[in-house]
Amino acid sequence: MKRREFIKKATLTSAGAMIAPYILPSGRLFAPTGTQIAPHVVLVMYAGGIRNQETVDQLYLSQSQHTWNPTPSLNVTGNIMPNLLSGAAPSSKVVYGVGTSGNTPISPILSTPIQSQGVLFKEVNAIAAGHYGGSIALLQGNTNLAQPLLERPKTPTIFEFLRKHGGYKATDTWFIGNSLTNSVPLYNHSGHEDYGAKYGANMFIPGVTFGNQGDQFLKDAKIYHPQNELSPMYKMKYFLDNSYESLTSNNILDTVGNTEAEKQQIKNFMKTMFQKKQAGTVIRPPQGGNDASTVGYALEVMKEFKPAVTVIKIDGPDVCHSNFTGYLRAIHAADHAIGYMWNYIQTQIPDMANETIFIATPDCGRNLNPNPILDNENNFRAFDHSDANTRRVFTLMAGKSIGNEPDKATGPLSSTSPLNTDAAITVGHILGIEQEMLNSGFLHSQSQSLIRKL
Amino acid sequence: MKKKHTYLVLFSLCLVSFQCKKENLEDMVFEINEVKLYPSASSKLKEKTESQWIAVVYTNLFQQALSAGDIYKAGQCITSIGDKELAREVIISNFMNSTSPLPAIPTDTDMRADIDKFINDTYERFLIRRPTEGEKQYFRNEINNNPTRSAEIIYFSFALSNEYLFY
Repeated sequence: MKRREFIKKATLTSAGAMIAPYILPSGRLFAPTGTQIAPHVVLVMYAGGIRNQETVDQLYLSQSQHTWNPTPSLNVTGNIMPNLLSGAAPSSKVVYGVGTSGNTPISPILSTPIQSQGVLFKEVNAIAAGHYGGSIALLQGNTNLAQPLLERPKTPTIFEFLRKHGGYKATDTWFIGNSLTNSVPLYNHSGHEDYGAKYGANMFIPGVTFGNQGDQFLKDAKIYHPQNELSPMYKMKYFLDNSYESLTSNNILDTVGNTEAEKQQIKNFMKTMFQKKQAGTVIRPPQGGNDASTVGYALEVMKEFKPAVTVIKIDGPDVCHSNFTGYLRAIHAADHAIGYMWNYIQTQIPDMANETIFIATPDCGRNLNPNPILDNENNFRAFDHSDANTRRVFTLMAGKSIGNEPDKATGPLSSTSPLNTDAAITVGHILGIEQEMLNSGFLHSQSQSLIRKL
Repeated sequence: MKKKHTYLVLFSLCLVSFQCKKENLEDMVFEINEVKLYPSASSKLKEKTESQWIAVVYTNLFQQALSAGDIYKAGQCITSIGDKELAREVIISNFMNSTSPLPAIPTDTDMRADIDKFINDTYERFLIRRPTEGEKQYFRNEINNNPTRSAEIIYFSFALSNEYLFY
């Protein structure tokens, strides 16, 4: 062996010997420094932009319609979220329910509202006024003023932090979206070069994956034998990939790194979902539209994969741009869906019951003053989202190890109020990677785990 | 006399037209073999969009085009799934299961009757290039050493390959 070759080999061997003990089976280099508070987190982007006035303030029509139209019948307050919040329902002018004119509220599913089980941060600062910026702020723990629509988040999401620093596998992290619009399909990972797709979350947009489009192009997928057919297929594919990589300087795009076994589990899950859809047995809250369906499929994912983190995006209340009555109904229906979800986790998914922490927070609030649009049904004024009131949101948290503080962070919004970006670091804290996230330098300077604020 | 002139002019015109016959390139003989040119893998640098990939894979598998509306819907399916490679895999599996139209895949008998031709044809069909000798040898071994290796599974691997994502 020549001297130069010997030195090269000896150096590589020494380096390998030093590094090898730290390369964990998951592919990450170092073990996370924190301990888990709970093994599962469900983060609900209770979204579409909702005002604190109609949610935690329980002011119903009094500060949305009566202010602008001082008819006594509109001076009604009350709680339209009986599963999430404690408080009496409006006593008159009930339009937020179901049935004729929405005059029948949906019966609460939870006997004890989540507010009475956990912590409600009443005044939380939303740091972005739009849906995409607001939603990915919850996932990134920060906001980026240069973030355009229809582009991946610029800094890592909670999914990537968990997978890169916590060693969580791809099927431990799920994002369930409600639509292909508003850049929603881009939420499952950032475009950051040190993170990105290979640390991204699995994702379904159930209305499409299991909708008409899925019926046509996914439902009848042939199930190949894993060893006799798929394994040689992957082997030949990897040969072709290696061959291409040796011939090109092109950057091969990363994909979410599901192992072959994880892929097989996801494909089987999809097959089962199409069968359940045909049989009409997919889990679904009894009331509600697309948001309810999204929550139902999220429960199917939780039941199958028991993820460490499940993020659910709902946005029915965004109808408020032109239909305030519809907005009230969407808030009420979303409350029903989330109540159903929390009850289902506790009663039907044994691995997650009593082992899960639930966080709900909106992407942004809505304006103090209405726009000129009146809805057809009640002539109610509609609201957009761009002014200071848009910054007022709440965060509700409950579950394993979370005590009961039903009125936290009350009083006017201030510079010391919690941020809605705290959601990301809170999830990281619960799952044991708080310090790694803080060390990354990607979080908002004031972002702090909400558990540290209890 | 006038008639004689007319014949002379016509005769001259015939001569001129014969002499000025345009030469086609094909008529020229360079004494070299005609060679069909293919792009190389290294020149494929642009990523196909989801719609482009759908359109091309459908055409390659079924030898017919998919409607614009269906291309859009199939593209939405890919967008709706986080793991894009898995989404493509499921779509290919769905195409392979189609009964109307049937995917145009050679029978295993045809494939094994002339393995080199099958390999060349598959590379040209999916990757628009000829295989290198190494690639050809790899697939020869795959087919010869594995009696159950089907043309369908080989097509699947090509349709799912990274090179197929670029043009």
